[in-house]
Amino acid sequence: MQEAILSLLAKQPAHGYELRRRLETALGPAGGALNPGQVYVTLSRLERAGLVRVDGRRGKGHVRRAEAKVYELTATGHERVEAWLNDVGWSKVAPVEFHLKLVSAAQTGLADPVALIEAQRLELLRRLRELQDLARTEPEGEGALLLEGAALRLQADVRWLEACERHWIEQETR
Amino acid sequence: MNPVIEAKDLVKTYDADEAPVRAVDHVDVVVEAGEAVSVMGPSGCGKSTLLHLLGGLERADAGELSLGGDRVDRLSETEWAILRRRSIGFVFQAFNLVDELTAIENVELPALLLGASRRDARGRAMRLLERLRVSERAGHLPDRLSGGERQRVAVARALINEPLLILADEPTGNLDSKATGDILGLFAELRDARQTLLVVTHDARVASTADRLLTMRDGAIVGQTRLEAGRPTASALAGLLDLGDTA
Amino acid sequence: MIRSLRVAARLAARNIRRRPGQALLLLLTLTIATGTLGLGLSVYGSADAAWDRAWTATDGFHVSFDVYHPPDERGNDHFVRSMERRAAELADAPGVVAVGGPWTHLYGSIDVAGGREDLTAEIREPGRYAVDQPLVTSGGWLRSGDDGVVLEGGLAATLGAEAGDTVTIQGEPFPIIGVATTVSRGRFPLARPAQVWVTPATAERMRDLGMTVEGFELQMRLRDPADAPAFVASHRPAFRADPNSSAIAFLETWQERRADSHSDIDIVAGTLLIAGILIAILTISTAAVLVAGRMSARIRQVGTLKAVGTTPRQIVLALLLEYGAVALVATAIGIGIGLLLAPAIADTSVTILGTPQPRLTSTQVAIVGGVAFLVVLIGTVRPAFRGVRRSTLSSLASGARPPRRPGRLSRWASDAGLPVPAVLGLRSSWRRPGRLITNAAGLTFGVAMIVVALALRDSLDLLNTRIAEPGHAASDAAVGVLYDQIRAIVLGTALLLVTLGSINAFIVASFAARDGARSHAAIRAVGGTPRQTVISLIVSQLGACALAVVLGIPLGLGLWSLMEGGDLPETGVSLLALLVVAALVPIVFAGVVSVPARRLASRPVAPLLTYE
Repeated sequence: MQEAILSLLAKQPAHGYELRRRLETALGPAGGALNPGQVYVTLSRLERAGLVRVDGRRGKGHVRRAEAKVYELTATGHERVEAWLNDVGWSKVAPVEFHLKLVSAAQTGLADPVALIEAQRLELLRRLRELQDLARTEPEGEGALLLEGAALRLQADVRWLEACERHWIEQETR
Repeated sequence: MNPVIEAKDLVKTYDADEAPVRAVDHVDVVVEAGEAVSVMGPSGCGKSTLLHLLGGLERADAGELSLGGDRVDRLSETEWAILRRRSIGFVFQAFNLVDELTAIENVELPALLLGASRRDARGRAMRLLERLRVSERAGHLPDRLSGGERQRVAVARALINEPLLILADEPTGNLDSKATGDILGLFAELRDARQTLLVVTHDARVASTADRLLTMRDGAIVGQTRLEAGRPTASALAGLLDLGDTA
Repeated sequence: MIRSLRVAARLAARNIRRRPGQALLLLLTLTIATGTLGLGLSVYGSADAAWDRAWTATDGFHVSFDVYHPPDERGNDHFVRSMERRAAELADAPGVVAVGGPWTHLYGSIDVAGGREDLTAEIREPGRYAVDQPLVTSGGWLRSGDDGVVLEGGLAATLGAEAGDTVTIQGEPFPIIGVATTVSRGRFPLARPAQVWVTPATAERMRDLGMTVEGFELQMRLRDPADAPAFVASHRPAFRADPNSSAIAFLETWQERRADSHSDIDIVAGTLLIAGILIAILTISTAAVLVAGRMSARIRQVGTLKAVGTTPRQIVLALLLEYGAVALVATAIGIGIGLLLAPAIADTSVTILGTPQPRLTSTQVAIVGGVAFLVVLIGTVRPAFRGVRRSTLSSLASGARPPRRPGRLSRWASDAGLPVPAVLGLRSSWRRPGRLITNAAGLTFGVAMIVVALALRDSLDLLNTRIAEPGHAASDAAVGVLYDQIRAIVLGTALLLVTLGSINAFIVASFAARDGARSHAAIRAVGGTPRQTVISLIVSQLGACALAVVLGIPLGLGLWSLMEGGDLPETGVSLLALLVVAALVPIVFAGVVSVPARRLASRPVAPLLTYE
């Protein structure tokens, strides 16, 4: 989220609450997931890191409330934004955590991998249902695209889980 | 409770090269009116066969089956056909529209078979095509329609006689992502409208449109779960969308 | 090129090995076509040759001058004398290089098969003749001092007599000196009256017994036989005594006589030929259906072959080789059948020079082979064109032809409120108009032949009930035998055509069922009953049947009008009979087609609906 906030300031400075609103809109129906406080905390952090600064001249008088403060990018901040926009890294490609969970369950005998997989799969399907219901409330707009991305990833995860299941069942019947 | 589908101990065996295969192995299924159920499982688990058995496209070797409260396992081919006209709408992966008929003729076919007048059937068909946003293609033959359009025509055909039950077999199997999205929305609408629905699929997104999910493996039902409706809480959403802090 | 041939040959062999049943069925249908054609052509050919051989062997005439006056008529003496003068002039005319006669003819009666037949006795001085030296086939020719007769070949055959036997003429026995063949007369009993040759001395005895002079004949040979028509044209071709008299004199060319004289084998051969052509057309259409039935698979195969690197030339060669091999074998068998069976057929009829020798002419081979290779073309051209020219992808994607837009007629049908299965049936028949036409073509000829058979039966019945005139009993009987043969051939052909038509209908219906299986499964899935499936398939085929009846009946009537006349009494076919045909054919057809239809209906539906 840090980089997203930085980039929203790239064009021109903005109030704290403007930033919050823009983020909410960008997330569409998922905007409700955004914790408002989160935004201001992040802004403080960015300030401390020297990536943004408060423009004291603008804004309404002596304001201490975060929403009313006007933030703008520092030079370092601009650099950071550019770097971020051009970065083609991708977070979390592999489901490392769950994979390790299965391996350790099998090795330690603490849990049945197949049961774990089934439980996780059903959970993902439940989440998928929630996501899809959410997406239907606002079918147009970029927010819907975000939800579709989430849904497709969940679908991919479910397929992976089915592949895991096949493998672990085979292991068990050996 | 008035179950639309009540299947007890269904068995279906095929003779394969090496040994007979139990495609459906002592399966019980109950689907209540207005319920949307999906059946998931790996290829070859028997879910399509189960669907065929429930719709009379194949006969079970053993077991009991009731639809809408009436026992149907002893019906003849002709009686099944008449039952399907009235009570069952099918949606297939391969669409299975009649190639020689235009889209609207395909849709009105079950109505005509049920004895509706030409005008009545035509009118209902047109309205359905409009509802499914495919009415501009009404006069086209199936080979001129895209996959998504064909499936929407097929859904319209399944709906025209307001059936008791819709059975769908991999409805998105041959569709691209846009068309799949359309069908997903369609099925969610049907579910919300309390249409009794049984969908066989291995697409998780299609499966999750249902209220209840059955998992099949090797011809048997090995698990089921309820999928709740409702809007997620903010924190649940946050977790879902991974909106936590990145350092 | 050699490499291409080898690849092509391997492909062709593999295709035949993979579906030997199909290749055999194709071979069978083609062989029926080539066989009947070959037979008809062989029999036809042998007839001509036989007459020509006899004509050459007997120094036959180029132009003949016949004078005839009825024996029981008075007052023709003046006419006869002027004709005798005329004969003398003709004998001296420019262009005439040899003369036979004039030979006098006596009229009398001979006992044949227990009845009396009219008889002509030709009076000849023993010796050799410059024109018309009859070819002796038993015994010897006339010698002075001989008391006896030489019989004409057909007469001898009818009597079953040879040299040394006796015949009864004017109620008295006469020894048979010999049997001879000539082309100046047609062969008894198709040509009447019966003929014998006698010496002047024997003739005297005959006149004492009551035989009277009825005319004479002068035969001439020209420098060039081709001049005969011109010669006749330049001299007055015919003379009549006066309108009240039956006495007549006329000039005839050898070509005219030839055309007239082997009418018996002509009729048989002609009938066989027509039958052969009809059967050939029908079996070609069946073969075309068989080939077309595999068309989509072929086109797809072409796409696959192209995708793995087979060149277009190799593909076309493979197709040619595969069908060409079948066609070649069928042609060989067909011609072989012709050569083998023709003598049997020709033998049973009354012919000129003993057993006709069926010959193998290049024309025969060309016609029979051409028919067979027509099928090869049908089988090769379409897949080659579609598959090789078009892109690999499109051939792979679908070998099947896409459906056509529903035509006006079928829209009308559904608007008219026809039951759903009937409308569906009509729709799918529109989908493949090519098959509809080939199916209809085959059936049309079957129906036509049935009509011809009906007319012929009526005609022959009429013939048989004609009052046997005194003096014609035996020949009538012999003619009756001939027409029994013809009737058998025609009925046999009609039956064969009906059977072939049924097979054709069965095959077409089976392919239609196979092609429509998925559509029918879809209809069953939405609530169509098995019975509705059966009905829709039958209806889809009935179009061809209706077309066949509508076209076949007039065709049959037309064919009959060509055949009737002459010895076959003219007759029509009763309206009732036609109506019965028009009603029965669709019923039988529907019955035949219902078999594949029922098979389609009993096919399990689920596999067809599941994605392959």
